Amino acid sequence: MNELQATSDSEEPTRAGSLPARFLLDGIVRPLRRFPLALFPTFMLGVFFVVPFCIMVVISFWHRIESKTYEPGFEFTHYERFFSPLFTSHLWVSVQFSVLASIFCLLVAVPFTYFISRFRRRPQVFSLVFILCVLSLSEVIIAYSLSVALGRPAGITNVLVWVGLMEQPQSLFPGYFATLFGLSYFNIPFAVLVLYPACTRLDRELTEAAQTLGATPVRSFFSIVLPLLEHTILAAFILLFVFTMGAYVTPTWLGRPEDTMMAQLITDQALQRGNFPFAAALAFFFMTVTLVLSLTTVWLRRGDQVGRA
Amino acid sequence: MIVRLAKGAFLTIFFGMFTVPLVIVAGISLNEKKYMFFPPQGLSLRWYPEVFEKSSWFDALTNSVVVALCAGAIAVAIALPTAYFLWRHGVIYAKALFAIGLVPFALPPVITALGMLIFWSSFGYVGRIENIILGHGVFLVTLPLVMISLGLESIDDELLEAARTMGADSRRIFTSVVLPMILPYMIAGYAFVLVLSMNEYIIAFFLGQHATITLPVKVLASLRSGYTPVIASVSVMFILLDIVVFGLIARFGDLPKLLGAWTPKE
Repeated sequence: MNELQATSDSEEPTRAGSLPARFLLDGIVRPLRRFPLALFPTFMLGVFFVVPFCIMVVISFWHRIESKTYEPGFEFTHYERFFSPLFTSHLWVSVQFSVLASIFCLLVAVPFTYFISRFRRRPQVFSLVFILCVLSLSEVIIAYSLSVALGRPAGITNVLVWVGLMEQPQSLFPGYFATLFGLSYFNIPFAVLVLYPACTRLDRELTEAAQTLGATPVRSFFSIVLPLLEHTILAAFILLFVFTMGAYVTPTWLGRPEDTMMAQLITDQALQRGNFPFAAALAFFFMTVTLVLSLTTVWLRRGDQVGRA
Repeated sequence: MIVRLAKGAFLTIFFGMFTVPLVIVAGISLNEKKYMFFPPQGLSLRWYPEVFEKSSWFDALTNSVVVALCAGAIAVAIALPTAYFLWRHGVIYAKALFAIGLVPFALPPVITALGMLIFWSSFGYVGRIENIILGHGVFLVTLPLVMISLGLESIDDELLEAARTMGADSRRIFTSVVLPMILPYMIAGYAFVLVLSMNEYIIAFFLGQHATITLPVKVLASLRSGYTPVIASVSVMFILLDIVVFGLIARFGDLPKLLGAWTPKE
């Protein structure tokens, strides 16, 4: 049976004319006949994910009439608006926040993940539960509790006054650093989960060997652990960058108007101004950037696995 | 020695940094009067029942719970056949379907939210709870998909071979061998969707259109309109729910393995 298939496969390229038909039959109909249950995920993901995306992309070229109304057309008006200072300044703010927040986040998350991956099982599970709880906290709750922690009546400045480092308690939010801190803080648990599998796979014998040869733990961390995690850290950086680019609640709550990020801009255009075509164009641009970055991550990870094998 | 100390200090600061805001929120929820003081002035638990008594909060709570329960079911129902299809048949079609399932989570949620809003608006069918349920179910499908795949990969080929030689057909193998082995992964996937859906803001905000309001949307709205300790008490309940759910997963499942830790095969 297998042999039969193999010969028919090798003959196939000569019948190039029937290629689409063959693709339809071999690629879709036969697998579905063998496993009809796949129709359900195909339907759900197709109708509620792929189709909305396609509609969104199409609408980004349509003509806007007024709030929430638009008519079919093909124009680049909405894409041309990307070059306006309003858009470029917010894009720059988003990129700046995302790069800085991802770096801060990794500075904390990499050593932490490395440490907990060396814990014994019980404390390790405890730490993971802790991280998961923080991770699954709503962005709303985190932004709110940070605004309390950075605010005047109940915030950390009161501690500074009490210690004597400051004269009067003051509010640190809303502001640039509050937003940056919020964005870094929010993504740390996520970064830990992304780094965790790679950290558990690190061979303990390597660092032990280095230390037997006289390297300090710090030295072995920098000269052995970090280089081994290079790809993973880069992949994590890109993921964090993508995540931060999409932040909405944190910059809304902790930032000033000039700290407005992309997701807020899209939300504002879509919901407050009812400009669906422009919002769609922004989203499409945004999506292309993030997809390219995410694919780079997948590619980097593949390199990682080859290196390990 | 210094390294040890530095490591200890680092870990303490880390755990502290993520505990302090939670302590603050818990403290505020105990205020006696309708102010948000920390440390709380006068102790009272009166803001906790208010979530259940005041209809606007209770509606938001019910919406969130209904959305989370249904979205979890939808996500697992999509993820299970997709993961099984890839594992069992491995054809290009299955790979493509799996890849599409990975995309939603890799994109900023605002894009999914906008796409779905435009989609539903073109039918004039917006602001319903069904919109949010489907939105979350599809957006969060990535988590059960990845977890169920991990579960399927952990099944030993010899077990399947044994079942096959004993004369079991593929349906029988699925119900008596595969399903019991991947059940913990399915439950964990469901729990992850549940918790993340309960806390998701932007998709719920776009699709709810002020007509169907979930708890995070309600919290941010009331933060904007004026502080009340109810916000803090809701947050505390959320945190407790998270601790219970993940504690249970850790108790009954292999959490490190679920999160991708590598365990050497014996």
